[in-house]
Amino acid sequence: MSQDLVVLCAAGMLVTAYLMVGQKALFTAIRLYAIQSVLLGGVALVMGLAGHNAHLLASAALTIGLKGLLIPWFLMRVIDRIGIRREIEPFLNVPSSLLICLGLTVVGYRVSTRLADGAQGAAHHVIGVSLSMLLMGLFLMVTRRKAVTQILALLTVENSVFLVALGATSGMPLIVELGISFDVIVAVLVLGVLVHRIVDRFDSMDVSRLSKLKG
Amino acid sequence: MNLLLWTLAVPLLTALAGLLPLPRRWKEIALVGGLALTFALAVGTASQFLAGAVPGAFDEALRVDGLSALVLVLSALVGLMSGAYGIAYLRRNEDRGLLTPWKRREFDALVPLYVFAMLLVSVCNNLGILWIAVEVTTLASVFLVAFHDRDTSLEAAWKFLMLGSLGLAFALLGTVLMFAAGRGVLGEGMAGLNVTRLIEVAGQLHPLTLKLGVVFALVGYGTKAGLAPMHTWKPDAYREAPSPAGVLMAVGMLNGALYCLLRVHTIANAALGPGFSSRLLLALGLLSVAVATPFILIQWNLKRLLAYSSVEHVGIMAIGIGLGAEAATFGALLHLTYHSIAKPLAFFSAGTLAQLHSSSNFEQIGPGTLGRTPVASTLFVLAMVIMTGSPPFGMFFSELIILRAGFAGPHLAASVILLGCLVLLFCGFAYQTGRLVLGEQPAAPARPVDVEKMDFGSLTMLLAAVLAVGSAFYLPPGLLELIHAAARVVEGGR
Repeated sequence: MSQDLVVLCAAGMLVTAYLMVGQKALFTAIRLYAIQSVLLGGVALVMGLAGHNAHLLASAALTIGLKGLLIPWFLMRVIDRIGIRREIEPFLNVPSSLLICLGLTVVGYRVSTRLADGAQGAAHHVIGVSLSMLLMGLFLMVTRRKAVTQILALLTVENSVFLVALGATSGMPLIVELGISFDVIVAVLVLGVLVHRIVDRFDSMDVSRLSKLKG
Repeated sequence: MNLLLWTLAVPLLTALAGLLPLPRRWKEIALVGGLALTFALAVGTASQFLAGAVPGAFDEALRVDGLSALVLVLSALVGLMSGAYGIAYLRRNEDRGLLTPWKRREFDALVPLYVFAMLLVSVCNNLGILWIAVEVTTLASVFLVAFHDRDTSLEAAWKFLMLGSLGLAFALLGTVLMFAAGRGVLGEGMAGLNVTRLIEVAGQLHPLTLKLGVVFALVGYGTKAGLAPMHTWKPDAYREAPSPAGVLMAVGMLNGALYCLLRVHTIANAALGPGFSSRLLLALGLLSVAVATPFILIQWNLKRLLAYSSVEHVGIMAIGIGLGAEAATFGALLHLTYHSIAKPLAFFSAGTLAQLHSSSNFEQIGPGTLGRTPVASTLFVLAMVIMTGSPPFGMFFSELIILRAGFAGPHLAASVILLGCLVLLFCGFAYQTGRLVLGEQPAAPARPVDVEKMDFGSLTMLLAAVLAVGSAFYLPPGLLELIHAAARVVEGGR
């Protein structure tokens, strides 16, 4: 039962990643990230309840609170203030992007079967999903132009690393997880400040305009 | 609290003091005083290690062995020099009305914070804490890169943070996988991330998970070290960061990231046998040296020149470690030491040249700087002579040791490529330095050039020159002992 729930949550995360690739409205993309983070918290919650593991419960609460609520709220405030709502045409159109991501998922699953106890049970699916999400996050990062979308891609990569941690082990030690979460929050704040300054300066958050430095 | 914890606490307190709205003089005293005290404490911690103790804290999460002690002392030294030069840098900018009190506070808080994170990296014995500390160095330096608030500085800061965070995401994945590899033996507590414990049970780690983890960790921390092909943030960030912050990145971040690479490398060596991570490091190192060569030959900007020089030197160190011979490892650590001592001179003299000409582009600085700014130009030439590994300076010997080990071992082709690149790099630097320093004075300078003054910055620069030249003829015996101890750690894992 709990195994099925874990796999369901992980599959949900993969779906949000696909939707994000096919999405151009920035608000929706941020909401998708929020859903993804809540599902990540769900994986930790189910595993914690099934294994009577208190520190997984704490990490679930942390994930849902910080990544499911705080970071999305902050990012929404950033785009609200600068008033840019949509991603312009990405470097690659949506159908071909989705096809490439399909290939990336296959690669992710293929690699996951060779890890320590990755070949059986729920762990296989969890690690497979997380490696696919990692690759999709990298793909999003190189094909999108808006600064906020790039931040979301980075956060997707980061979520997938946490999912690997849940699948391959049962979470990192709590103190390390706290430190990592704190660093991620600060990184998002710093990125938000930079986006503000970039928009002030260039009247746009199109990062492909940041191309003066060469050689 | 033991000496080690004080070494970490003092820069943190200095950073807090930097936020206070005090008069200029007090802030300057607090910054340099704090960093000087930090250096003294770091030397104290290292001498505790040399006396036979193993300073540690938090249940071995922090632990000072030979490698830690070496990087700790070098980072603290560079922190002190950067702080001292930073004062002069801010004064010069203030004289030209380029500095607001808020900017000064930002600088005074971020530089010691960066030093704190650097020192924390160098004493970490726990892969999780290590990752957190490296992330703190990244976050502390973003606003230093964006310090001047120009279009280009924002671009550089954005690229720096995006690439750096991506590299760190990879490193985190590597850390998680290495933790997973030891899970069956070490359990799920902090012990599973402890480097010493991981090496102790190396034979029982899950090989494939560990392999994957090592690759991700090396690529991730390699991004922070600026190994090619993940070096692209470096030229932008070095160009835009103020010189005192630039030297922190060029030495502090480089040493810190190399420290992480070495820790991962020792675990891989113990568990997977020699050769696995060595080959990867050798390949990345060769690529870095090879990529830096053409960019130095065609370079148009003084600080980007220094950045590519830094890519070259981290490449040489990676090659030294990747060759896998005992002598080459010692050579790489010796190179790290000489590089840390000499790099500040290069940054300070280049920074002074750029500041006096209000630009770091060769075109705007123009030929014949020797006639306009004799002291800075002479020191810049000296720095370039040292950085290219010319005798009788230190890097000549460390490069020679690495090359000798290379030609004696199985990696003949790699050694030939390295030697070829080093010769080309020497020519490149000679050409670039020549066209900057020598030549006719331009008839009508594009912009008025400030007159070189004997101020605090020039004094720091001269002191850096004395250190850089002096280290060629005399390395303190304690420092040499630390290099040997560090080489033993890399070779044997303890």
